[in-house]
Amino acid sequence: MILRRLAVSVVMLTAVSALIFVVLRLLPGDPVITRLGATPGISPATIAQLRKDAGLDDPIVVQYLSWMGGVLHGDFGRSYFNQYSVTQLIGQRLPTTIELTILSMIIAVVLAVPAALLTARRPGGVLDRALTTLSSAGMALPNFIVGVLLIVIFAVKWSVLPSRGFIPIGESLGGNLRSMLLPSLTLAIAAAPLLLRFLRASLLEVLTAPFIRTARGKGASDARVLLLHAFRNALIPAVTMLGLIVGYTLGGAVIIEYIFGLPGLGSLAVDSVTKRDYAVLQSCVLLISAMFILTTLVVDIVTGILDPRLRTGRGRG
Amino acid sequence: MAETTTVAIQAAPRRGRPRDVVAFAAAAILAVICLGCIFAPVLAPYDPTELSPNRFAGPGWAHLLGTDELGRDLLSRIMYAGRTTIEIAGGATLVAMLLGLLWGLGAAFARGVVDDILMRLADVTMAVPQMLLALVFVAGFGASPVKLAVIVGVLLTPVTARMIRSAVLAEKAADYYLSAVACGMTRRRLVITEILPNVWAPVGVQAAINVASAVILEASLSFIGLGIQDPDISWGLLVQWGYQKLSRSLGYVAFPALAILITIWMLNLLADQLGRTDGRRSS
Repeated sequence: MILRRLAVSVVMLTAVSALIFVVLRLLPGDPVITRLGATPGISPATIAQLRKDAGLDDPIVVQYLSWMGGVLHGDFGRSYFNQYSVTQLIGQRLPTTIELTILSMIIAVVLAVPAALLTARRPGGVLDRALTTLSSAGMALPNFIVGVLLIVIFAVKWSVLPSRGFIPIGESLGGNLRSMLLPSLTLAIAAAPLLLRFLRASLLEVLTAPFIRTARGKGASDARVLLLHAFRNALIPAVTMLGLIVGYTLGGAVIIEYIFGLPGLGSLAVDSVTKRDYAVLQSCVLLISAMFILTTLVVDIVTGILDPRLRTGRGRG
Repeated sequence: MAETTTVAIQAAPRRGRPRDVVAFAAAAILAVICLGCIFAPVLAPYDPTELSPNRFAGPGWAHLLGTDELGRDLLSRIMYAGRTTIEIAGGATLVAMLLGLLWGLGAAFARGVVDDILMRLADVTMAVPQMLLALVFVAGFGASPVKLAVIVGVLLTPVTARMIRSAVLAEKAADYYLSAVACGMTRRRLVITEILPNVWAPVGVQAAINVASAVILEASLSFIGLGIQDPDISWGLLVQWGYQKLSRSLGYVAFPALAILITIWMLNLLADQLGRTDGRRSS
């Protein structure tokens, strides 16, 4: 089952890379011209030479294969803009994005799990209604507005946390976490409501199962039933959801890194759009998509281990 | 906004009418926002480009929501900016619904290999986070309002197609559909007279969700400077400008953000209520 799932992921990644590549190549706009900008006095011969050096004259299939061949060896090519190695550029940026994603997932889980348990204790109660309304408001908040809001509160009004600027983890762990706190919180505020809603629904469903009645019949306390019996079983569908939420978070990271001035893949992607640096853009998008596909793969494998029923189910489908 | 919150809290657990109140309130608020923006040339208190020496004014009687860095009336600017936002969100939703309907219906009726190919294609596009795919398209095509509407519409299409396919498949399994097939109806007639009238609720829900997603995508792109460009204005762009002038005026960033927020919240509420109505019908 794991092998099969692995194969699907590889096919997916290949298809995604082809999609990104084709879209970027079929579009108008010449990266070489963009790079030279308005520099006067450049002969057509120079432009032709530059195009050739960048490999832009080759047939699209050859260009694609040479890009993919490089990627497989860890070589993402060179930036059209300044000839830097894309691998290096990305290598510097990748850890920030990964850290941001992990931190926001941790905060989201810390916020959503207790909230879901509280709402499931008394569905329809005051707490349940308040948290449900709060989560629907949270879902209506676009990422960048949450970011701006948090900056206004924590950086401008109270000045307790920095609004921009990034401190590398190697320099100071505390400083790094301080600079990452607001961005991760922003992303967590978007992710937590989704997780809360899903976990709540899944808990309520599990709570109607016969084994819960049995546990109650044997005299287990409400808290024990909820935590030990229901929660464990409600987790599996919620873990599946987590994979999807990581996807949203990676998309949101693009905006959040930009707002908070974090040197991650997302802000690199935004930069490369402004500069029309397709070589960097395509690799950024591919890498972030790969992270998403990898997460779903891991999530599927983990849920398969947690719940053997899912394995046979997938085998047939 | 406070009003609707209380309504939502009370309405959620009950059955029957109160829900319609929520849906009605949400629709009414959306209608006010839409009409206010569409008829901005008639309704706006000022010309959105009219300068005045009264810079960074707070909310007051002369300028209900205050003014920006050039003394332009913020309420008028938000109303005019809303027109761009509505144009893009509306256009994008139209594109997404039309393409999604074709894609979803095609997959549901073709079944077999064609269905597989169409749905795997949707999977692949959905494996790239929407915002990043948006960057790829914007990088290539640029970002005039019309292009943005098409780009955002295309981005929303795969999700829409998936949803429509599953709604159509559910109807195709129903007895009434089988009897229609048994009556020898042509495929076109089956789609028009049997399927479409019965999937309007999930399609409506999806449309509401699409409008909300389109507003968010457009605002996000404009906020990071890759969407609507000066001299055009949209809500996302206003938030960006307000954000840059944060130290001078809080309202400049807050009011456009609030416009986006209320719009999306109401759309979500409306989609929720529509979805529940549908659930009641089928059960």
